[in-house]
Amino acid sequence: MIELFEARKVYHAGEPNEFVALQGITLKLNAREMTVIQGPSGSGKTTLLSLIGGMVRPTSGRIYLLGREITSLPERFLTEIRRRTFGFIFQHFNLVRGVSALENVMLPAFPTGESRAALKKRALSLLGLFDVASKAAARVEHLSGGEAQRVTIARALINNPDAVIADEPTAHLDTRLSCELMEMLGRLKAEGKAVLIASHDPLVAEAPAVDRIVQLRDGRIEGDG
Amino acid sequence: MIFHPLIIALLGASLLVCFLVLYAAAFGSQILRRWDLKSGSELQLALERKTYLISTLLSYLFALELLSLFLFIFTADRIHPFFIGAMCAAGSLDVNGFGTATLLVKIASFLLAGLWLILNAVDNRGIDYPLIRTKYAFLLGIAPLVLAETVFQALYFLRLKPDITTSCCSTLFDSSGGTIASSLAALPAQPMKVVFFVSLILTAAAGILFLIKRRGAGLFAVLSGSHLVVSVLSILSFISVYFYELPTHHCPFCILQKGYGYIGYPIYIAVLGAGLCGLAVGILAPFRKVPSLSEVVPAAQRKLALTALIGLVVFAVIVVHRMIVSNLILR
Repeated sequence: MIELFEARKVYHAGEPNEFVALQGITLKLNAREMTVIQGPSGSGKTTLLSLIGGMVRPTSGRIYLLGREITSLPERFLTEIRRRTFGFIFQHFNLVRGVSALENVMLPAFPTGESRAALKKRALSLLGLFDVASKAAARVEHLSGGEAQRVTIARALINNPDAVIADEPTAHLDTRLSCELMEMLGRLKAEGKAVLIASHDPLVAEAPAVDRIVQLRDGRIEGDG
Repeated sequence: MIFHPLIIALLGASLLVCFLVLYAAAFGSQILRRWDLKSGSELQLALERKTYLISTLLSYLFALELLSLFLFIFTADRIHPFFIGAMCAAGSLDVNGFGTATLLVKIASFLLAGLWLILNAVDNRGIDYPLIRTKYAFLLGIAPLVLAETVFQALYFLRLKPDITTSCCSTLFDSSGGTIASSLAALPAQPMKVVFFVSLILTAAAGILFLIKRRGAGLFAVLSGSHLVVSVLSILSFISVYFYELPTHHCPFCILQKGYGYIGYPIYIAVLGAGLCGLAVGILAPFRKVPSLSEVVPAAQRKLALTALIGLVVFAVIVVHRMIVSNLILR
């Protein structure tokens, strides 16, 4: 589904603080597969997720989505692809404060032009799926960590993406909530979505739904299996 | 004189456009030599990122270039009281040898910058940069013109001397004079009327045919281009005199003045706009075959053809209305 070919990412290229985050990554990610990217801090996990999700462009190399090259796409095309293909779960949730959980979930779908009623129905259904429907009207700053995480997952799924990308999703969760989260992600995989998780939490790597672990160190793949 | 706000604005805009066009032309030559979408090299990715920025900046500055033509004419008109003998922009432009040259180069730049903007807009809607080489090759062609415009305009304004006695438009466009302008003004009115209306009908018919049948883009472009020339000649020959109600006054600039309700501006916007859009319909035609533009180009051509037709109608309505209400009867 997603293929990286010789992807390289350099921050501040040509400057004294030049930093090579990724070096020549070649990787293939399949649908209906849960992949965990493991590695220490600074190994390039988040950069790799950002490249795959089309949020950052590589310095060199190409990325293919369903056989179509996406690295060269102008931003307006990439935005559409990003919106339809990827659902993002961020480490710090990145929910919009001062707005209800329901509106946070609906937010990524607003640019699609879908009717508000249909959108609200789908958002409520997703919140129900993750047992937080009762919190739909609550402002996100009043949610607990677990509830916020569920709202984040619901938001990631509002546009029914083909792939879910999660960056350190268990960083702020206790063991019980982390296990619950992995179960939820497992359900998404079973529905046919590609799930990609960056984490150095052993609990994530040991989850039964995980198919593949990619080891990253110093911007290079050290192990894949 | 050089510190007149309008002149400062024109010189500033011109320098800005010139600088970016030259920079973009240098970048464009790199695109022409090194662009390879199949490559994932660092250079290729850098070119992809940079072209997005450069073409966006260039779009804004070329839009400014379009406006600057009218600002230039407006400025030439506003400064005419400084020169003895000048009655309108024609007198101001005749103060030194660079005025008319600047105007002509600015008109050419207007049309070419407009075409580049249309090419760029179409290219931006294709997913694989389908016209990138075409638009940068075209830009390389425009660059010398923009440079010439900047130099001519600067020389024109820098060499303005308030104590100069210049000619008034009645002399410059006097049909008995021996200049190019006077020869054009001397074109016989009745045959020019026939040529103008036949050209108008043919061009409009070609545009309507294109909109209905989706055919004849090249024909519409050729007719639009020739109608643009015919329109300018007609303004000199017979249209202007209906506004002035003086059979001997052929000035194409006096109609830009307040006394004539600034009617010259809508006239020239309609004439140039219709010509530009009509030409663009034909220029885009070969790109219909590009797979990523197969839907974009026909849609753009339809919009352009419709805009061109609106321009033709606006111009025709202004002209016919004036011919009817004018107290002048040309026989």
